[in-house]
Amino acid sequence: MPTTPTEPGRTAAATAPNALLWFITVVLLAGFGGSLAMISPSDIAPVHAALILWIALSYTVSGLVAWWHRPANRIGPLMVLTGSVTLASTLYWSDNAVLHTVGVALDVMVLVLIVHVFLAFPTGRLRGRFERLVLTVGYMAALGAQLAVMMLDGLGPQQQLAVADQSEIAIVIHGVELVVISLVALVAVGILVARRRAGGRPLRRSFSLLIDSFALGLMAIAVLLLVGVLGGPAFPTIQQVSLAVLGLAPIAFLAGLLDARLARTSVGDLVMDLRGEPADLQTPLARALRDPSLELVYWLPQFGSWADQDGKEVELPTDGARATTLIERDGNPVAALVHDPALRDEPELLDAVTAAAAIALENGRLQAELRANLDELHGSRARVIQAGQKERQRLERDLHDGAQQRLVALSLDLGVLETRLRDDPDANAVLAKARDEVAVSLAELRDVARGLHPAVLSAHGLAVALESLAAHATVPVRLTVELDGRIAEPVEVAAYYVVSEGLANIGKHARATSATVDVRRDGHQIAVEVVDDGIGGADTERGSGLRGLADRVEALGGRLQVWTPHGRGTRVRAELPCK
Amino acid sequence: MQVAIAEDSVLLREGLARLLGEAGFDVIARCRDAEELRQLLKAQRPEVVIVDIRLPPTHTDEGLQAAVEIRSAYPDVGVLVLSQYVELGLAMKLLADSAEGVGYLLKDRISDVPDFLASVRRVATGGSAVDPTIVSTLLSRRRSDDPLAQLTPREREVLELMAEGTSNQGIADRLVITLRAVEKYVSSIFTKLGLPATGSESRRVLAVLLFLRS
Repeated sequence: MPTTPTEPGRTAAATAPNALLWFITVVLLAGFGGSLAMISPSDIAPVHAALILWIALSYTVSGLVAWWHRPANRIGPLMVLTGSVTLASTLYWSDNAVLHTVGVALDVMVLVLIVHVFLAFPTGRLRGRFERLVLTVGYMAALGAQLAVMMLDGLGPQQQLAVADQSEIAIVIHGVELVVISLVALVAVGILVARRRAGGRPLRRSFSLLIDSFALGLMAIAVLLLVGVLGGPAFPTIQQVSLAVLGLAPIAFLAGLLDARLARTSVGDLVMDLRGEPADLQTPLARALRDPSLELVYWLPQFGSWADQDGKEVELPTDGARATTLIERDGNPVAALVHDPALRDEPELLDAVTAAAAIALENGRLQAELRANLDELHGSRARVIQAGQKERQRLERDLHDGAQQRLVALSLDLGVLETRLRDDPDANAVLAKARDEVAVSLAELRDVARGLHPAVLSAHGLAVALESLAAHATVPVRLTVELDGRIAEPVEVAAYYVVSEGLANIGKHARATSATVDVRRDGHQIAVEVVDDGIGGADTERGSGLRGLADRVEALGGRLQVWTPHGRGTRVRAELPCK
Repeated sequence: MQVAIAEDSVLLREGLARLLGEAGFDVIARCRDAEELRQLLKAQRPEVVIVDIRLPPTHTDEGLQAAVEIRSAYPDVGVLVLSQYVELGLAMKLLADSAEGVGYLLKDRISDVPDFLASVRRVATGGSAVDPTIVSTLLSRRRSDDPLAQLTPREREVLELMAEGTSNQGIADRLVITLRAVEKYVSSIFTKLGLPATGSESRRVLAVLLFLRS
């Protein structure tokens, strides 16, 4: 199951520029050798030299390892560059005038690169225009101002760039340069604090705390430079402590970058969670990714839409506030995670979590699809029954207004004729017979019409309609209807058929001596109960019409229950949702 | 005897009007819906109105509503309700307070002209007409301890006719017995059913119906 996060992550490992990395390693080794060779003849303090080399070593090695493991992440190359420039700046120690000049030129640049690494961690990219602006200022000061100072014959006699003897001005510019860079470092600390404050980032807490603590190194740079400008007394000690801290930082970065232990732990927990086949996949996924805002949505191909776990249609966010990671199978989307954009910093974790959840996701998607199908089915069943009911109502009305009225009018005419021909017994007999035939037809038609739809129900409500049903029952029926006025027609119709079918069954099978019918409102539902004192043991599947009744009741979202113990009567109870 | 008709089917409306007219009634209005009937009653008071239970616009209970209204607003106007179906619940609604000057019949009953005309006259003069279907439904109802079982077949016949609103004279004519004999049966029935004796014939209709329904 491939994922499509914005960071290709480890998937690009196969194309790692191994040859380039080896080449850089060899060049750097040579560089370190050269640097060490320069220390002994120079008058540089050994502690200072060791700390500078420590920083160079720390950044280059951490950077190379990061580059190797995360070829797509720019932080590796950036760290290698930082280490290399640090190494190059040791040319400062060289007796050779040209090499010394290069070293001097790069001397301050190192500090800005370190600030850059801090700000770019963990993706290797800066976030936003402000951060780029701050670093641009830093680089211009570290390189541009530094070169200007050197041209004005600042920074010692050995450097070869001096074109004018303006060392007074050079000292001032150099002071300004260092203050600017210290400000850049302080602003960077501010940015880091602001980022931490913005919160909600699901980064590993303990590690981010450790990494943050290295921001103290940035404070140290600032202090170092300011003290340098002001010429304070504690200079060597501060410098040494700061350099030591700055040298430790890349190791923490590398560890943070490569740490898969925590991710593995959370993925392991996820796998354990998923073994229980939870109905709710979203919660364990949110836990594994440490993003409480995570939403899991499923792709429903037959509806061409996204749906949440309940099968309800949702839209994927298109604004930048939320990120979306598609989970695909055979090139088709299966699901998507809608999450905090910060999770893109951890593509590996995202990969691992989605891979672990893949099967459960497929399962969950099928369940969402099933629920959506059930909803659809449910709706269509309700519509089918509703449409059938409407059609029957229409037919009843047609019969009533058409055939029944005509037959009544016909029998009226026959009756009138009969009275007129009172004195003709033969005609009278024929007319009386014809009138009887019409009366039988009318009675039959009435039964058909009533079977189609109980007109009294729509016209006069459940209480009146049930009174007739109870009166025609084969056993004495105690009828109780407690309703506050009329209720929704589909509910009335269903309740009517529950009673009608229930009483019919009592007549056919129950051998009962009496029955009760009870209809009442029970909160947001109408409860209909038909109880008899007969032999019980009713067949709820065949013949009794209970199956059809259950369909009717369930189509309205209600339920039908039947208790029919042998020898102890039958109780049919329908609960029909009704606002 | 003045009569008004409210019936939306033109066939039936005209048929009824002709029938009543030939029988000597003065048909003062042929209304197509309940509203026309209401307007008429503001100006004129027929002795009886004949109302179809299903009238426009909704064809549900407009006729019944109008009947109930007329009964309470104009107690001296008899109301005869006609319907394709008779419903026990509606009968009880219509007869809620009294059976005086009220009738509830299946439309089919029109074709038995002499009977129908007698019913119209009875309702017009403060009597009652209850469809035999309702009475037979009530009588056919099974009861656990049935006091009707104590009645003789003749008493049962009398009870049925009584419940339908037939007068003592009417019962005597129908069963071809003397008025004196009818009175004897009626008093015997009331005693057996434990009902208090009531003077008026329409009051006893309600008493009997309520007894049968309980």
